Amino acid sequence: MTPSESVQLKNRIRKLRFEHGEMTQQELADRVGAARQTIIALEAGKYTPSLLLAFRLARVFGVKTEDVFQWDAD
Amino acid sequence: MKDRIPLAPLQKFAWYNLTVFAIAVAAYAIAVPVLAAHFHRTLAAAALPSLGMFGLCGLWGFAQFICDRRKLDERESLINQRAIMAGVALFWLVFVFSCMGVWGVCFYIRHQAMVPVALLPALVWGGFIAYTVTQSVAILVQYKRSAADDAL
Repeated sequence: MTPSESVQLKNRIRKLRFEHGEMTQQELADRVGAARQTIIALEAGKYTPSLLLAFRLARVFGVKTEDVFQWDAD
Repeated sequence: MKDRIPLAPLQKFAWYNLTVFAIAVAAYAIAVPVLAAHFHRTLAAAALPSLGMFGLCGLWGFAQFICDRRKLDERESLINQRAIMAGVALFWLVFVFSCMGVWGVCFYIRHQAMVPVALLPALVWGGFIAYTVTQSVAILVQYKRSAADDAL
């Protein structure tokens, strides 16, 4: 994925975290098997997760992957 | 309210390596002039503190207890892989240039047919130091680049 494409990938992880009992980053990280710094990088849009991690995040929030990540293709 | 984000194991690994290197360099910088003055020798006096420096760098072996790199998540694995690639690239550059440089000096400048064997450990250790320091710096730089401005 080119850097310009990764910028277009947005997510609602932080919003979903707060909607689910104000889950902390560490709690989310523990539930998806990632490090807290990875969650921070995801929320900041500085890291594009693998498909597996994306599905895990969606499963934790009980939503579809498309509800967590949005890609605005030109 | 910002909370303090604890260092990731990989970051601790990198800082440990850099700390050991800094201590080794400091010890070397102190020991060489002291021993050279005491033994009234110049480069030969550097042999003993060199062993000490390399011995100190052996502490890098304990870095494995700081970070179990089998338990890295996908992003940390990616950071680690890129850091290793950077370290290997710089190791190769340093090793090749130092070997060719030593050969060039001995052959073309000093007109010697042989390279002093005492230089061989320095060539290997120099490359190893270049690899470890580069890997550690690359780890920290990647973490810095991907850090968010705030964390909740």
